[in-house]
Parts: sequence; C-alpha cells; structure tokens
Amino acid sequence: MSKGVLVDLTKCIGCGSCYVACKLYNENKWSDKAPVNGKAAKLADENWTVVKEYNISRDNCNALRFVKKQCFHCEHPSCASACFTSALRKTEEGVIVYRSNLCVGCRYCMVACPFEIPKFEWGKAFPVVTKCMMCYFRVINNEKPSCVSVCPTQVMQYGDRDELLVEAKLRIDSNSAYIKHIYGENEAGGTNWLYLSDVPFAQLGFKTDISDKPAAAYTSRYMSLTPILGAAWGLVLTGIYFINKYRKKNAAEKQMKANDSEGGNNA
Amino acid sequence: MSEREEREIDGSRRSFLKKTLGTCLTVGAATAATGCSDGNVSGGEGWLPEQYNIPGNYPVQVRGRIPIDRGNPSITRDDRKCILCGQCAEVCEKSEAVLFNYELPLKDDIPCIHCGQCTLWCPTAAITERDEKESVLHALENENLHVVVQTAPSTRVGLGEEFGLTIGINVESRQVAALKALGFDSVLDTNFAADLTIMEEANELVKRVVGQIKAPLPQFTSCCPGWVKFCEYFYPDLLENLSSAKSPMQMQGALIKTYYAKERNLDPQKIVSVAIMPCTAKKFEAARHEFNSSAYITGYENIRDVDYVLTTRELARLIKIKNIDFNNLPSASYDPLMSEYSGAGAIFGVTGGVMEAAVRTGYYMLTEQRPPDALFNLTPVRGLQGVKEAVLQIPNVGELRVAVVTGMANSREVLKRVRNGDAPWHFIEFMACYGGCISGGGQPRSALPPSDAVRAARINSLYTADEKSVKRLSHENDEILEMYKIYLGEPGGELAHKLLHTHYIDRSMHLTAKKALA
Ligand code: SF4
Ligand code: SF4
Ligand code: SF4
Ligand code: SF4
Ligand code: SF4
Repeated sequence: MSKGVLVDLTKCIGCGSCYVACKLYNENKWSDKAPVNGKAAKLADENWTVVKEYNISRDNCNALRFVKKQCFHCEHPSCASACFTSALRKTEEGVIVYRSNLCVGCRYCMVACPFEIPKFEWGKAFPVVTKCMMCYFRVINNEKPSCVSVCPTQVMQYGDRDELLVEAKLRIDSNSAYIKHIYGENEAGGTNWLYLSDVPFAQLGFKTDISDKPAAAYTSRYMSLTPILGAAWGLVLTGIYFINKYRKKNAAEKQMKANDSEGGNNA
Repeated sequence: MSEREEREIDGSRRSFLKKTLGTCLTVGAATAATGCSDGNVSGGEGWLPEQYNIPGNYPVQVRGRIPIDRGNPSITRDDRKCILCGQCAEVCEKSEAVLFNYELPLKDDIPCIHCGQCTLWCPTAAITERDEKESVLHALENENLHVVVQTAPSTRVGLGEEFGLTIGINVESRQVAALKALGFDSVLDTNFAADLTIMEEANELVKRVVGQIKAPLPQFTSCCPGWVKFCEYFYPDLLENLSSAKSPMQMQGALIKTYYAKERNLDPQKIVSVAIMPCTAKKFEAARHEFNSSAYITGYENIRDVDYVLTTRELARLIKIKNIDFNNLPSASYDPLMSEYSGAGAIFGVTGGVMEAAVRTGYYMLTEQRPPDALFNLTPVRGLQGVKEAVLQIPNVGELRVAVVTGMANSREVLKRVRNGDAPWHFIEFMACYGGCISGGGQPRSALPPSDAVRAARINSLYTADEKSVKRLSHENDEILEMYKIYLGEPGGELAHKLLHTHYIDRSMHLTAKKALA
C-alpha cells in the first residue's frame, strides 16, 4: 500500500515551517546559492523542499500563492528505473529512497525524472545525488514526514494514497473554488504526493505536459544509448557487487521494511 | 548521548535551545531514531538511507511558525536560526489576534500589523526588525545633511537594559548624549509631539462630544500604527471612529521639515529625519505613502516626514558599534524648539497613558478649569489588565466614559460592542503591544520571555517621570503654545489639519476576516 501526502495549496500561508523542518530533520545545510523561499526558490542538493511564491491573478484580483515542492514519489519512478545500481529504489510504502554508497554518479536519474527532482552535489569532492526521501524513517515508524507534521495550517495530509485520493475528490466536488484536477493522480503514471489548487496548476509552475503513462517504461533507453556505460563498467560491477551484497542481507532480514525484490524495475 | 553532544559542540544558541527545549523527548527519540540502544540500525538493515543512521538532533516538539512577507517593512527572519518552537505563531494568534484570524486561501497579502511582538518572543532572535542602521550611519557621514533625531517616550526606559542597567531605569539624558556622540545634528523629543497629539486629539474628542464635528463616538486613539492597521484590516466600518490625529512620531516628522526647518533656516531637502522608537510598526507607519505632509507644504515632492525609524535595539547596536561608553556618558539635554514636554506626554508609552493625558486636557477644554487631582493619578486606567474602564464626571457636561485596551486580542470584544452599537464609551485607547509601547516590538529583549515584571518596571519609571514633572498637562507646554501662536494657529485649524491629521485606508480586501470573530 502506497503512502502519500495530499497537499492542499489553498491553505498554504508560505510560512516555510516545512522547509525548516526538512533542513533540521535531514540535517541539510542552508545554501546561499539556492533560496528556499520567494519567487526564485529552487530545489537543490541541499534543498529537498522549497516553498515558491507566485503572484497571480484570480477572478481579476491579485492572489498570492505558495507552492511547496519536493519529490513527488512516483508510483512508477523513472529515476529508479534509470538507476542501474539501484541506488534509487521504491520501498513497499511507496517511498523512493536513495542510497548514496550505491550511486556511481551517472546522473541518469536526473535526466529520467520528469519533474527534475534529483539534484547533484556539484560543490562537493565526492558528489552524490540527493532528493526528498519522504522522511522514510518516520514513515516506517508510522509517523508523518517532518514537513507534514509541522505545517501550522495542515496544508498536507499524510496517509494511504487511495484514501487521500478519495478525500481529494470529496474536496474538489464539495467546493467549487478548487480546480477540478488532482495533480499527481495520473501524472507520470500517478504520484504519491497529490496536489489540490484553486488556480490552474500551469500558473503555479507545475508541468502540465507530463504523460499519464509511467515514464519508467522508456527509461531503459537512457542506459543503452550512453557510451559512458562502457567506460564506467568497473563502476557498474562495483554497483552490482553492492546490490548483491545488500540483496542477500535483506533477504535474511525478516524485519526488512523496504521492498527489495521489486527494486526499481517495477514498470 | 555523547555522540550527540559532540555534534553540537559548535555551541550555537540554536543547538543549545534545541537541546534544552526538548531534552527529555529528544533523548528518547534520538535513541529510537538511531537504534543506538542495541547497536543496530532500526527499520531493516541495508535500505535505510544513511543519514538516518546517525543520531539526529531534530527537535521533537516542532510547531509551525508565522509567515513573513519578504517585503515586510518592519520584520524579517533568518531561517537558519529558527528552531520551530512556534512562539511567534502563538503570540501573533493569541495576543495580537492576527495569525489565523483570517480565512484561507490568502488574498494578495500576508496579513501582519507589524507589532513586532514575534521579535520579542522568538527565543533565538531569528525574527528581528528590518535593520536600517546602515542607512542612518550613511546619512550621519554626509556633512551636507542635517540629521535630526526624535526619541519616543518609551525608549528611555528600555535602552539601559541593553547596557546592563537596572530594568526600567530612565536613561533620558544619557540617550541624548549618546545620540549627540553619534553625530546627530539635533536631538528632539517625541514627547513634545505627544503633548501636541493630545492638543489635537482632545480637541477632536470635545468637538465630537458636543456635536461640533460629524464623526461617530466612541473616538478611537490613533497613535499606535499596529492598532491602526489592525482596524484597517478587520474593522474598516469603524475607521470613522479613529481620531484623525496623526501619531506623535508623524506629527514631529511633519513639523521637522516645515516649522523646525523654517525656524532654523534650513533647507527641508537637506534634512534627514530619524526616529528612535520602541516599535517595529513605526517603520511601516513612516513608509505609509500619505505621510509626506511636509512635501505637500513645502512643495518639495520627494521628501518624507520621517526618513528612517530605528528601534531601541538598533540604537543600542549603533552605540556599541561606535564604541560609545554608554554607562559613563555625561548627561545632555534635548535641543530646544520641539523638545519640551509635560508629564502627560511622558506617559504616552504606557497602556492607559494616552487616555490619562487626553482626559486631563479634555477636562480643561470642556470646563476651562484645572482637572481635579484624581485625573493626575487615574488608577482605573493604570495597570496591565487587557481592558480597563473609567467614568469621569465633567461639570456641566456630564459623564465621560473611557476604555483602554492593550493587546489586539483584547480588542475584539470591545470592538464587537462598538459595531453592535451598544458601546457606552466616548473614547477608547488601543495599543497593539501588551502593556503599551514600553513593551513594544522594538524594545530590548531580555534573557527571559517578555514578562509582566519587566513591563511593570518600565511603566513605573514613566509614571515617576510624570510625577516629577513640574507641568503635567499638555496644554501647559510652552513650546507648543508658542508654536500654535507663531505657526500653526488653532488646534484643529487649517494648517494643523494639513500637517497633523491624516486619513485611513480600508484594507479589508487584502484578507477574509473570520466571521466568528466579528
Ligand atoms: S521520478 Fe522524480 S519525482 Fe518521481 S520519484 Fe523519482 S525523483 Fe521523485
Ligand atoms: S518528506 Fe521529509 S525529506 Fe521530504 S520534503 Fe518533507 S521533510 Fe523533507
Ligand atoms: S508549513 Fe505549511 S503553510 Fe507553511 S509553507 Fe509549508 S506548506 Fe505552507
Ligand atoms: S509583527 Fe505582529 S502581526 Fe506581524 S507577524 Fe509579528 S506578531 Fe504577528
Ligand atoms: S519564534 Fe523564532 S525560532 Fe520559534 S518558530 Fe518562530 S521564528 Fe522559529
């Protein structure tokens, strides 16, 4: 059963508690280059979530809206499909986690993700890829993700994706102010983070040209097309070594929370 | 815990607070989170992202915080210092009745009345005033400019705390000396304009009471810019009740570039007008576009009545930056022309003080007699209660009923009654900050959260200043009487109106006020 978060953008006041919680919980540094709020807010290796500001026009009035951005946690994550070392993979809770010591730095995931979520630590000597991991440790302990738990206006609701979808439909059906669209219901084959809004998603920087088909189906292309693969064969072998090592370990681990056998290739 | 402590060796205030705020809870959670109790990684070895394999120092009791618009003229926040304690949200909602007092979604604004109480409650000083001391330093360095400064009634009983002095100590003359040492060309007292505000506001009240001007009763005070914006947001239907008199700071500012410039033979365009205030909302007030009466009078379109507002804390920082030995400064006095004040002006910074000052002079205006002794110690309107009331007997006029409200959360009930037409009062004083300007959002932050003991010490200090004053009635202020004679004409007269009165803006379209609160 996939866990997810329903984000109701009409309730967001732009306080930024969520990104502070994310920084504190995940111990990510503050970045001088990439702002976490304002009109120029952008996801970065150290910003797993940001709150971007939009001044738009709604019913001929100016409206101030904020959008919390982070990984959508796709049902069929193309990032994980593209990752041949399975550094990125989907857990049974539907969380897309990342394990840096399996990552060979190929950055296929960054190309594969339709939402441009994974970021590379360009500034570091041994850079890896980073992104929101939905506070996986909290999820497996039946706690809400940090950002969800701190939001003063309950913008975000955490729960089973199926139930969140029911709730989302209820909300848009009972209140005409909402746009009749649940962003993430079908985008990229469905995502676990779902969004509601009272202004068109296109005006809030959401990609509206995303196919409903899971992009993961195409991602094998990225791998076969690249010449780097040959050059990096050694690294791949290392990767496979690690995968096998962890698979064996995980198989023995009764308490294992993550769904290992599915890996990332569940398309 | 040893690993945890090592990680926090930087000893930053934030990590210290994080640790102390949630110690017990954090210990438990950190142990659980790290799985260090049994040496295993909890949650399945292998697939837990490794940053969760190390002890976290995440505060367990996280709470949401206030939103701050990046363009807020009064306050700003350093996210890096925030520990998500939620104190700012608490004071903004519970004490100032702003946060969550509107429906979502937002309209085009993040509602804020700029009171700055959040800057006092934020334990890590993540929220601060928008610092303008650099601009002031810049002006002071320019020899072509004549930099005038005015000081609010309350800063003199707060500033000393920044230099380790007894809480509430009145450092009026040292403050003047420090400002002179900083290079201000002229140091004037906003207390002067407080007396002037009384002249205009009491005059307006008398006219409303006897029916000479068509404006509703009760009259509301208008010297607190936080309250004024609160009224503009939530009670636009009651804006007529607000006295049209400007706040003392804005009166002083308007006069500095007109009357003062004229008397001193100065070019208004070369004057920089600075105000030292206990208040962050004054930064917002000074920036309100309508506060350029001096431009209107002089014809120099681009001048503003008040150019910069510094809080008490910013002044303290300036004094420290310039290495001025505050505690050993010789005393100095204000420059003449616009600095004389009565005891009535001195107590403007206290909840109930504006009311007490106004009824003293109002009594005189209605009866042409000196007010009775009781009006020099109007105990019913003194003290820290949220809402206070008093009934005064005015010979040949009848009863004058007044009320005093401190903290915007306390205003809702009173305003509801005014809205429903069952308010018995003639005059109501409102101040956004609990206790009055003495605990304004720009006052020094003590090591502890704002407390009544601190407030009471500062309040007593101002009442003592009133008692010690030879003159305790605004209408006895000689500099004011002289100014009316040679420049302004009558209280409430034509020029007085142009310079000393203002109008208000309906801001209700910027939010959806919660119905239940109306
Ligand atoms: S494809 Fe992108 S949005 Fe989807 S799970 Fe991967 S990183 Fe997140
Ligand atoms: S779920 Fe966790 S990691 Fe993801 S944005 Fe929220 S706080 Fe950050
Ligand atoms: S904590 Fe909630 S209200 Fe604040 S910015 Fe994040 S989503 Fe919006
Ligand atoms: S300045 Fe006052 S109104 Fe504005 S956020 Fe702070 S407490 Fe709330
Ligand atoms: S009071 Fe300060 S530290 Fe606490 S939540 Fe507000 S901004 Fe953060």
